[in-house]
Amino acid sequence: MTASVLGRVVATERRPNTPHEFHFWTALDAPVGVGTIVRVESTRPVNGVLPSVYGVVTEGFGYTDLQTPLHDVLGADGVPGSSASAPTERTEIRLYTAAVLRQVPEEPLQPVPIGTVHLATEADVQAALRMDTYVQGSDARGIPVGAYRSGGTDAAVHLDADFLLGPEAAHLAISGVSGLATKTSAVQWLLASIFTHLPARKGKVAAVCFNVKGPDLCFIDRPATRLDPADRALYDALGVPAEPFAQVRYFAPWHARGTHLATLRTHDALADSVTPLTWGLRETLQYAEVLLSREDIDAKADALIDFIKERVVDQRFEDKLLEGAHEVRAFADLERWFRELLQGMEAANQEQWRTHHIATIRKVRNRLGNISTRCKGLVTDDGTVSDLPFGAFEDRAVYVVDVAQLEEDAQDLVFARIISQLREHLEKRALGVEQVVVFVDELNKYAPSDGADTYVRQMLLDIAERGRYLGLVLFGAQQFRSQVHRRVVGNSGTQLFGRMDADELATPGYQTLAPATKARLATLEKGQLMVRHPHFGQPIFVRFPRPAVLTGREGVEQFPPAEVPTLEMAVTKTLRRLDASITVGQVQDILALAGDDEEAILRARNVTLLKRPDNVLAFFSKQLRKRVAPEVVGGRGPAPLRAPATDDEYG
Amino acid sequence: MRLLHLSDLHLGFRQYQRQTPLGINQREADVAQAFARAVDRILELAPDLIVIGGDVFHTVRPTNTAILHAFRQFGRLVHGLPETPIVIAAGNHDMPRSTESACILRLFEQGFAPRADGASPILVADRAPRRLQFPRLGVSVLAVPDLPPGSVELTPDPEARYNVLVLHGEVQGVLPAAGGDDRAAAQIPVAEVTRAGWDYVALGHYHVTTRVADHVWYAGSLDYTSTNPWGELREERVAGRAGKGMIERDLRTGVQVVHPLAPTRPLLDLPAVDGSGRTAGELDAAIASAVAAVPGGIDGAILRLVLRDVPRHVARELDHAALREVQRRALHFHLDVRRPESVRREATGGAPGRRPTLTDALREALAARALPADVPREALVALGLRYLEDAERDEGDRLVPGGEG
Ligand SMILES: Nc1ncnc2c1ncn2[C@@H]1O[C@H](COP(=O)(O)OP(=O)(O)O)[C@@H](O)[C@H]1O
Ligand SMILES: [Mg+2]
Repeated sequence: MTASVLGRVVATERRPNTPHEFHFWTALDAPVGVGTIVRVESTRPVNGVLPSVYGVVTEGFGYTDLQTPLHDVLGADGVPGSSASAPTERTEIRLYTAAVLRQVPEEPLQPVPIGTVHLATEADVQAALRMDTYVQGSDARGIPVGAYRSGGTDAAVHLDADFLLGPEAAHLAISGVSGLATKTSAVQWLLASIFTHLPARKGKVAAVCFNVKGPDLCFIDRPATRLDPADRALYDALGVPAEPFAQVRYFAPWHARGTHLATLRTHDALADSVTPLTWGLRETLQYAEVLLSREDIDAKADALIDFIKERVVDQRFEDKLLEGAHEVRAFADLERWFRELLQGMEAANQEQWRTHHIATIRKVRNRLGNISTRCKGLVTDDGTVSDLPFGAFEDRAVYVVDVAQLEEDAQDLVFARIISQLREHLEKRALGVEQVVVFVDELNKYAPSDGADTYVRQMLLDIAERGRYLGLVLFGAQQFRSQVHRRVVGNSGTQLFGRMDADELATPGYQTLAPATKARLATLEKGQLMVRHPHFGQPIFVRFPRPAVLTGREGVEQFPPAEVPTLEMAVTKTLRRLDASITVGQVQDILALAGDDEEAILRARNVTLLKRPDNVLAFFSKQLRKRVAPEVVGGRGPAPLRAPATDDEYG
Repeated sequence: MRLLHLSDLHLGFRQYQRQTPLGINQREADVAQAFARAVDRILELAPDLIVIGGDVFHTVRPTNTAILHAFRQFGRLVHGLPETPIVIAAGNHDMPRSTESACILRLFEQGFAPRADGASPILVADRAPRRLQFPRLGVSVLAVPDLPPGSVELTPDPEARYNVLVLHGEVQGVLPAAGGDDRAAAQIPVAEVTRAGWDYVALGHYHVTTRVADHVWYAGSLDYTSTNPWGELREERVAGRAGKGMIERDLRTGVQVVHPLAPTRPLLDLPAVDGSGRTAGELDAAIASAVAAVPGGIDGAILRLVLRDVPRHVARELDHAALREVQRRALHFHLDVRRPESVRREATGGAPGRRPTLTDALREALAARALPADVPREALVALGLRYLEDAERDEGDRLVPGGEG
């Protein structure tokens, strides 16, 4: 109560105070502004207690006793510069409106009493935001989100881990205009803060970040080139080491050509750190729905796909229409299976096969066949699987999945499968960590408020609604909150806002904000955020430091992506990850075995990379060996006429 | 279940100048005759399966004569043994290296009427390996043409009663080392062909009948069809083989017979004559008696006689008229006159300004070479000189079967 008096609460009939809003005036030079947190002290006890009210300034007014502007014009003889002739300096009033953050005691809830207004101290900020319940003590679980700074007060603002990562509430949505709102940066900072501050008793936590744009998240294991003293001071104040992420694993599918990975992190000095992301038939078929638009796939097609999933894939399959037994393990096998089946049906003049119509079979064949083409580089024709380490996720590790260069379809497939896998593993408590933060940048693309109801959107909605019980936490970033599905943002326990677009602020979602608060949001500096969190009665403005990691832009300057390699170089480089002594010459010798069968070569490389054999070259060259399929000679009974040879020497 | 394995027919092979009355190279006619005789023998043996390890023709584009002859001989087998399939794995001499040219051996797969069971009597693997299952015989044959070693998965067929591998190529450590070039990449490791599961491995490429393992064999060629027949002859001698043959093997019992094929004409490397200190006249006499000692006479034979340590002036004075007579009677007579070591040394080394002999150079180099402490220098020098001596002795006797010659 020693803090000097900043202002006094005023209430008039026209502008009465309410339990959630009050007004106060201050001296002209008072260090108050929109967002400042204040404390009201009343001298009148309620139930024997002197009440304290905490509020945050949401609006400001300034005026004088001037009756109309005309009076001032006349007083200055119409010359704005002639202040000398002004008879007296008019009394100027500064009047502020503050929204109540908290009243102590909370009951009975009364209009804010008349009293003195004080700048909030650090302790006041804690009390005002109810942080006292989760920042100290045996159940401390505060996660610093930034620093509140006003009128000389510097206070750390913490989020409640139980409300950020579950189980009470979960998820985070961050909105604001590109390039200025510092959305991607804020999420990186917050992850670092979570990794530092989440108490051990809350279990292990990891993050899966989808890199959807350029090099954004490709260098987060590298130190920042530029951290100002102000940034460092914030790191110190918030108790987070100003260091890049210690454990990052990068994943990227192959480029469609197959020689190199589709990521901007291909500089020779770093390339080793990216693991290929490839899936085979089984992995893909599980999420076939993602790639088959709903209108396209009816119940009949669905039934056939289910039949293939359950009865054909990964097992021996025989049918009298097929020439022999089939073992479908890869897309190429499936294509053969379809071909023989359709040929068999045509030869037998059959329209129907096991309740499936020939037209349905043709349609499903086309759609499935397309998948391996549309998702080339991700979906392998030969069934090699290289995946995130589901089941062996590590504590405080970040798994960056680079999908920036993938086609939209393939991106959807990646989201769908990875998120579903995370969920399944978390449900069985078998992921390796208890909580995963999934960061999806440009969330509006994947869970839009309008448009078709896609598989991916369904899935994101599902996490938004059920994820908090599982430890599956969604951090979504989007330019315009209004463009993200209502139920996704609605389920975000915590909302962050960076610099906002004025048009966006005019949409209904922001009606509750005072005009001055909107104005501040529209002009927010980089590094400042407005935070909504369940414990905070009102949105709070904070400042956060630049992420202590190399930005994508600087990253590609420091580590320019490697040139598109020749096939030999591409193979050599990849194999060198396993054995640094391998030379291009050795690889050339082995490639000679495969002739010009580029696909076979890439397949062999992928298998080698996956199996990590002791003798890398020997294993690799073994993969290139032709496997010879048997042909039965004779046994077909007498052939009355000799069929002409089918292959023509002239092509 | 009896299998017959032959290889390296080299039809169309030509050597020396002599021609038949019809104007055909005499050696080409010999080689054709060797195959015809082999066919006679096969018809007598009537095996259940015939496998051919490649190099049926000597060149990728054989002459019409060679093709017609081969077609006729294969026709004899096809008609004479109507139940016996013939499997051919193309060799380096048969296989076109460019894709615009097709392999002539396909003619034999497509050129004969199919058998009762619908199958071609002859099956050819040229560009790609083939695994041919013969349900009636209970045999699966993996036929691998001349492809880069390591490019084909050489595994037996788990469904077959008997597994046979027919492969054209060079198995490591079997052929006498030739040249210092790194040939390892072109060789097939022994372990690749001795892997368990094969009942018989029929190899082609090397012209000397050679055992690699109990059930892994090079059948050898049907005639001396390398550029250097003397080397081929010497290697046969070293291997303890006399002449050419085919292998018959019973897959059920493992019993195996090498059927020799009589040579189409004698090929003789006469005992070397030492010329040191002898006059031209004395040498003429030695040559005459060597020639006279040839059993059955020299008419039509292919001969070589090495004269050692004969200085140039002595060689010039030999009786050339007599030599021409020998050359006329024989199909080919090669008098290989070698100058004495000392003369060679004097001519090329010793005095200032002259280059030292190879022997001296090697001795010097080994004497100066830094050695690990546990290698005795004298022993190393002695060993080095012995290798050099061996190499010089063998000079010109080396057999390079892979050459296109
Ligand atoms: N805490 C900060 N203080 C000042 N500038 C920052 C801060 N964080 C990020 N920036 C800068 O803001 C810019 C945009 O950040 P970014 O996170 O990429 O925005 P968005 O994801 O909203 O497009 C970057 O150039 C970055 O350097
Ligand atoms: Mg961004």
